[in-house]
Amino acid sequence: MLTELVNNYNEAIYDTDRAKAMQVVETALEKGATPEMVIFDLVVPAMQQMIKGISEDYDANLAQHFLTAQIAGEVTDAMLEKIESPPEPIGMIVIGTADGDIHSLGKRIVMGCLKANLVESIDLGVNVPPERFVDEASAAGASVIGISAMMVHTATGENGPRAVRRLLRERGLEEKIKLIVGGAPFRFSPDIAKSVGADAVADNGIAACRVVKNCLKKGRS
Amino acid sequence: MITGMERLAAAINGEKSDRIPVFCNLIDQGAKELGLPIKEYFSDGAHVAEAQIRMREKYGFDNVWSLFYVGREAELFGCDNVIYATDGPPNVGSFIIKNFREIENLPVPDNLTSHPVFEEQKKCLDMLKKEVGGRYPICAYITSSMSLPVMLMGMERWMELLFLGPADLRELLLEKCFTFFVREVEAYRQLGADVLVYSNPFGSTDTVPLTYFTDHSLPLIIKEMEAVGAQGMVYYCGMSRFNQVIDIIIEKTDFRAFYISPLDDLAGAKAIVAGRGLTCGVVNDIKLLEWSQDQIRSHVRQLIQDGMPGGRFLIGTGVMPYNIPETSIRSMLEAAYEFGQFD
Repeated sequence: MLTELVNNYNEAIYDTDRAKAMQVVETALEKGATPEMVIFDLVVPAMQQMIKGISEDYDANLAQHFLTAQIAGEVTDAMLEKIESPPEPIGMIVIGTADGDIHSLGKRIVMGCLKANLVESIDLGVNVPPERFVDEASAAGASVIGISAMMVHTATGENGPRAVRRLLRERGLEEKIKLIVGGAPFRFSPDIAKSVGADAVADNGIAACRVVKNCLKKGRS
Repeated sequence: MITGMERLAAAINGEKSDRIPVFCNLIDQGAKELGLPIKEYFSDGAHVAEAQIRMREKYGFDNVWSLFYVGREAELFGCDNVIYATDGPPNVGSFIIKNFREIENLPVPDNLTSHPVFEEQKKCLDMLKKEVGGRYPICAYITSSMSLPVMLMGMERWMELLFLGPADLRELLLEKCFTFFVREVEAYRQLGADVLVYSNPFGSTDTVPLTYFTDHSLPLIIKEMEAVGAQGMVYYCGMSRFNQVIDIIIEKTDFRAFYISPLDDLAGAKAIVAGRGLTCGVVNDIKLLEWSQDQIRSHVRQLIQDGMPGGRFLIGTGVMPYNIPETSIRSMLEAAYEFGQFD
């Protein structure tokens, strides 16, 4: 049953058809799937399939990323409400767009995917000063700072990820908090991520989820 | 001496000149050229025109720009919050559409050539036309109807409205953006722009699935071209890939120039265009921030090897990042001039 449902769900996502995707979720519940099964056997595998597709050069696109994340976030919220003892989050990230940058879509995609993977996100919004990233991550005990930047000067400038790296170093937090970056400039030139001091770079919003989980796993080990 | 306009005309017609046309899009660098802060630079159309003319003469490439920055279109709609950086393009600071209902009362600016925000662009275009008109192509940047909402409400909210929001408001906004698009094209043509770079990320399969493109993006592109004609238009998707749709665009519209994404297969694009138009190979200019002179030269040579055989080819850049070293700009251009020569 689940294989067919996963296929139907994926088909709806690829067609950017939210109503159809939500109908698949309803059908799964009607056929006896538990809320946990909907999250872990339907939504998360669909996301993993998309990540696999992207890495194999499947032509997944921004609209599909947006809807995957949007629906994953919505379904996860709805299913968690149905679970008596919701599972503990597996980690925490603070996320925002770089100083001077108000392009928020990538951040939203990452957050939707992380939610379905039970990673807690603290959304710092857009145009976030470097100090705030570090202050908030430190105060919340987050293991990852995620910075989205869509313009070259916000990705590489003195108040972007580079400044966050400097602050982490000055405060002795580099072992505790990892820095992940994403956005168009890094896609066109992945080497920029290294030069601004990022621990990891995500090629797109969906792939960011895997990168964050890897960082969290390394942090725990 | 042969002019940029003659090189471009030869390339469009499939003829040889001395070399392929080279379009180098130095926008924010104009401030550096004149020694001005970016905000002051963009406050006066005379600054922009002067810097464009100076930079073209200094480097020897073939085009000039009337573009100030992309967020200018949002200012024409009333946006008055622009974030100025010291080392990059000004950026819309807050969107004029904050909730979907505001679309109903959003006024579309009518007479652009007398619009106060457009005044400086008009000044710039007048100067460019007077100084280099007819000799070097004057470029203007036009955002398509389907992509303009991104300037007005942000990509996140626009995606929401497109895929999840109320259809009536989505259609209303698209109609308003279409009206603006037509007026903007008419204004730029009236003021002497030769090349209209039609920017439409929603015309790319990096942004939407192919089926969505054919069902939704394409009909709007056809409607736009039927309204204004494709004369001087260059199909460009904001550096996103669109090889998958070139054939259908040629079949369904009069677009005959394509600004290929650096992430796409240029030789593949050239094969798809197949002599039916101008293929523009685009330098991955973000790499110019870090590449060595040898790497730059090698990249440009590869692009020219992929795109030049058979003619009807131009080499260009994206919007060059502000901090690219001048030596790297020169290396890129010298390689383009050298490898782009006709026998």
